[in-house]
Formats: sequence, C-alpha cells, structure tokens
Amino acid sequence: MTRVLVPVAVLEGESVSPGLMSLLGGVDVTVLGYHVLPEQTPPDQARLQFEERATSALEDLSQEFRAAGGAADHRLVFTHDREQTFDRVADEAEADAFAVPGTTGDVDRVLVSLSGDVDVDSLLSFVEALVGGRDIGVTLFLAGGDAPPTAPSDGAAADAGDGATADAGDDDAARLAAAADRLSEAGIDADTTLATEGSPFDALIDAVPGHDAVVMGERAPSFRSLVFGDESGRIAAASVGPVLVVRDRRDAEKEA
Amino acid sequence: MTDEPRGRNLDGDAPVAERVVETEEATITEGAELERTIGLSGGLAIGIGTMIGAGIFVFPGLAGGEIGTAAAASFAVGGVIALLVALPTSELATAMPRSGGGYYFVSRGLGTLAGTVIGLSLWLGLVFATAFYLVGLGFYALDALAQIGLTVGAEPGGIVSAIAVLAGVAFTVLNVTGTENAAKLQNGIVALLLSMLVAFLGFGLLEAFGVVAVDTPPGEAADVWEAVPILSVAALVFTSYLGFAQVATVAGEMKDPGRNLPLAMVGSVLIVTVLYVLTIFVATSVFQRNALLAAGETAMVEVGRALLGPAGALVIIAGGLLATMSSANASILSTSRAIYGVSKDALLPRRASRINLRYGTPHVALGMAGGPVIVLAATRQVQLLAEVASFLHLVMYGLMCVALVAIRRDRPEWYDPEFVVPGGPVVPVLGALASFGLIAFMNRLSIAVGTAVIAVTAGWYFYYARDVELKGAL
Repeated sequence: MTRVLVPVAVLEGESVSPGLMSLLGGVDVTVLGYHVLPEQTPPDQARLQFEERATSALEDLSQEFRAAGGAADHRLVFTHDREQTFDRVADEAEADAFAVPGTTGDVDRVLVSLSGDVDVDSLLSFVEALVGGRDIGVTLFLAGGDAPPTAPSDGAAADAGDGATADAGDDDAARLAAAADRLSEAGIDADTTLATEGSPFDALIDAVPGHDAVVMGERAPSFRSLVFGDESGRIAAASVGPVLVVRDRRDAEKEA
Repeated sequence: MTDEPRGRNLDGDAPVAERVVETEEATITEGAELERTIGLSGGLAIGIGTMIGAGIFVFPGLAGGEIGTAAAASFAVGGVIALLVALPTSELATAMPRSGGGYYFVSRGLGTLAGTVIGLSLWLGLVFATAFYLVGLGFYALDALAQIGLTVGAEPGGIVSAIAVLAGVAFTVLNVTGTENAAKLQNGIVALLLSMLVAFLGFGLLEAFGVVAVDTPPGEAADVWEAVPILSVAALVFTSYLGFAQVATVAGEMKDPGRNLPLAMVGSVLIVTVLYVLTIFVATSVFQRNALLAAGETAMVEVGRALLGPAGALVIIAGGLLATMSSANASILSTSRAIYGVSKDALLPRRASRINLRYGTPHVALGMAGGPVIVLAATRQVQLLAEVASFLHLVMYGLMCVALVAIRRDRPEWYDPEFVVPGGPVVPVLGALASFGLIAFMNRLSIAVGTAVIAVTAGWYFYYARDVELKGAL
C-alpha cells in the first residue's frame, strides 16, 4: 500500500488543509507531529510538558484522515533537527512520499513534475495510487534542457525507446508522451506541458496556476539547494499549495 | 528493589516514570520519540568546549606563580583523576543513555539522599564555576581595554566585577531568548581556540627547548617539585577539568550512544590534558615564578607578549575572551539541564523546569542559574569560586564511582552497559579515592563553603523530598 508521511509542526498550530486531506484519501497516511527545540532545551523536557497537548491534536488529525478514506496513524517527535527526523521516520514508516502541507480547497487537477534526474517510474506509480479511480486530472510537466544525459535506468525514457538517436528536445517530448500514455492506460486524464525556456524552477512555478497541488520527485541535495533551501520547500512556498515529494529509493534498492 | 521511582514530595508530585526504549537513532517513550541529533564530533565539542575555556587562560599565573614548572605536574594529576572518573562515567552513561548525567547515576545507584545532594550541588557547583569564568572574562576584558589604550583608574577591581555581572546577565538573556545557532557558534569558537593554542604551543615548545631564542626576563625563583604543593595546586586547577561529565547530560540526544559517549568523554579528557600540560610547561619556562605571580589572572597575556610580541598578547587576549565566554555560556546551559533532572524526579518543584512555548527554552531554570551566578561573580574571588566549584564536582565524581560499584553489585535487571570499564572495580575505586583525596588539599575556606552547600542540600532533602524513592529505578 502506498503511504504518505505528513509532517505537521503540531505545537505551532500547523494543520492540514481539507483539500490535501481528501487528496490523500486514497492512500495510507502517517501524520508526523514534530516540534523543533532550540539546542539549549532537552527534548525530554519539552515532551514532559507538551506531550499530552500534541498527542490529542494528532489524534484528531489522524481521525480526520481516516474519515477521508485511507488508513492513518500518527507519531510524535521532539527534535533539534527537522530534516533528520523526517528522513528517519520516512524510512521507518516505509513512506513512499512526504507532504509539504500547503493551503488548498478541493483538488481537481494535479501538476506532476518530471524534470531532472528523478525516479520517473516510482513517481508515476505514486500518481496512479494517489488519484485512484477519482475524477482528478493530471498535468505532466517537464522543463527542457534540464534533463540529465540520457540514463538507461530512467524507466519512462527507456520505454520510449528512441532516446539514442533523437536530440534532447525530442527526447523530452518522448519521455512526456510515454508517461502520459502510461497514466491514460491507468484511466487517468493526463495532459502534458513541455517548457523550453527559462529556468526549470521558474517554468514550474509559472505552470502552477490552474492546479491545486504539485507532485515532484525527491532530488539529491545540490549546491543550489544548500544555498537557497530545499527545492520542494521553495516550490511549496512559491506555489502556496501542498507539494507531495516522492522519495527516491533507487539507491536503497541498489544497496539492498 | 523496584525498577520504578516512587513516593511524593511536599507538593504532592511523584517522580515521572515511564517505559523507554533506546535505539541508536532515537529514544522512544510511550507516546513520543526524541530524536538523537548529536554525533561524536558534537559530543567532543561539548566536552572540550566546557573544559578548554577559562581554566587554561586564568590559572597559569596563579598556579605557575606558586610552584613554577611543577604546575605542569599538577595539571597532569588533574588529567589522570579526570580520566579515572571518565571511564566509570562512560560505563554508567552507556547503561543509562538518558539526559541527566552525574545526578542520574548517583540517585539510581545510591538513593535519593545522595541523589538530592548531588543534583542540587551540581546546580550550585556549576553556578560557582560560571561565576569563576565570568570573573576571568572580566580580567581579560580589562586587559583588552588596556591594550587599546583605555587605562582604568585606581580601582580596576570594580570594573572587573561590573563586566562579569553584565556578561552574566547577557548570557542568561541570550539563553532564554534561544539562539538557534548557539551550539554551532560554540563549536566554531572551540575549533578556533584549539588552533590558536596549538600554534602558540608549537612556537612556545621550540622556544623552551632552545630552538628559537627570545629574551625573557631573568628570575631566581626556583620551581617547587614537592608532592604536597603539587597536589594542592592540582586541587585548585581541577576546575579546568569540569566538563567531561557534561557529555553524559546529553546522553539522551546522542546518536549511537554506546560508541560515541565513551569516545567523547575519554577523548576530550585526553585532548585537553595534553594541551593543558604543554601550555603550563611553556608558560612556566618563559617566566619564573615571581613574574607569573605578579602578572596574576592574565599572566598568559604576558607569556604571549614575551614569545611573539604585541601580536602574541593580542592573540591570547582574544583567546581568553572567547574561552571564558564559551565556558560561561556552556555552564549556564548545563545548569538548566541539571535543574531539569532533579525537578523531573520531584526533588525540586516541577515548575522549575517549565518551558515557554514562545522561545522553547526553560526560562525558570535559566533564571535559577543566572541569578546566583551574577551575585557570585560580583565577589571577584577567583580562587574561592574555582575551588568551591571543584569541591562540589569532586564530591559528585567520587560518588559516581561509588555508584558504579554499588550498581554492579546490585545488578538491576536493566543494567547492561555497552562499555565496561576494564580491570574490575580497580578503576572506579581509584577514581573515588582520588576524587575525595584531592578535596583534602584545598583551602580551608573552600572546604567550609563546599561543606555548607552540601549540608543545605541534604537539609532540603529531609524537608522536601524525604518520601521519594529513586534507588535502583531506571
């Protein structure tokens, strides 16, 4: 079963918008309530004081998720390091994706970004599981010029079959078409958008209007993400709506 | 014996008891998880950062002035004692990798009375140590002012007190309002200090062995190589070694505690011992006793000036300021953790460990640290403050060693340390004897003040928490 980790800064009053809740109705959810403490405060001290309050808020949240459809559980973590906590809990819960909660109403259309070196295969499987049989449209988005040198491990591009001879633009188009075909076969209404100009980041933000949520792949930390912050966080901030980041588990599979 | 704490204090609070599962990456309680975020380097930085600070910048004048080069032996004695305590502490910390440190081990091994005495005197010991660091900071700040041409009138002492008090207020406020990067800044300062000391020592050693020659004033005072003076100076300078056990107070936040706790504790003791012994050796070979004594708390500045000219003096002044600041800051922080430990076990009113949700910091405990620190810092009694701090810590170190022997004998079901001190009970017994023995070499007044503090904390136990039972509980 597909599982999504939904981190919520529970003691800071952060919540999950009804739109995201119903979007995740088709999958299992782990609500991760977390509270980041300054270094001078022992996490245990904060737990003693705030555990009850946080737990009752988390119970309410997972109750609402269950009402929206899927199975839901919750965990509460006190930490000094948010990212370390997300990574650890995502691993332990075997989550396929984690959510950056944003604000949205009913979700009618989802923007799926295939840009960059992402695990297209698991991204598309996730979208299939997420949308399920529901009436939610998908726009597949690819920013041209951002694709890495054609990687044979790239599932969708390999399906397209003509990567070896075509130039970069045709290759991108073929990747998109193959992905759209796969979703259509699964009964999902899929459009494609190929952006050829501007930076991939700006192009993606420009494509957001008309969509209620963004699905993207996790990318290895780059120099840019170190300077400007995590890409998914920047996209979440710029698009206002929720972002679902599908975890890249290709490395994990190789190691296993 | 049960394995859960029991009983109620005067306010009707019971110790907080819960089932806890420790993994390498998190501490998992019934309803929540605590992330382990501190690695080996973070642990070493806590140990070294708390120790390296004020002691080495303040003591060369006082210790070298008394016994000359023999003071290097005093620092070595201090290092050996610290190591004898660090090994048993490591075993206890890997068996109980939770926050709380020395207090936690003593209360579980020896019972509530010893626990209350240690918990409260750890708080007060850190208060004395912090005041000592702040006074050292005041002396260095005064030298810095002189260096930029601001000479102070006939009453420099008043200025030192004023600077110490202001710095105490500033650090308390800083810790209450919560600076997100305080620890990173602290690590940077420690790294900077280490590199400065190593460069300085390199040059100083070349000079000491005659490879490089600098003019140092001649002196006649001979070094005092006798056991009693060396040990009594060791008792004075032992303050420089307070800090390795602070690593155990963040045991609950440390990744892979079974490996990282012993490495961080023993490693930081070894590193600072070498640095201290060499620094004292260099300082006492540059200056004879009387010159060091005349230079007093900031004698290191004169050593720097003699070796490297005005630049050397500046480097030492900057180092002294940074070191005393980082020690003071780290100690105020540890103090609030010590208060949390006892308050969780209902030995202090629970409100002492309240956290404010706005800053996320324990403001009551920080206030209980900062308030008395400021009062003590105003006294300017470097030697007394340092010795009382040492006294209170030595009592804790000695009792931790005793606690280890007691717990090994009782063997509670949960006791399964990942690190075991080699050589049976020899090391902990030696550690206890050395810790208690060193106290005998202190000043009468320091011993009297220390004993009074212990008596008051014992009185508090009988008044407030007589019914609380902690022995053998996890």
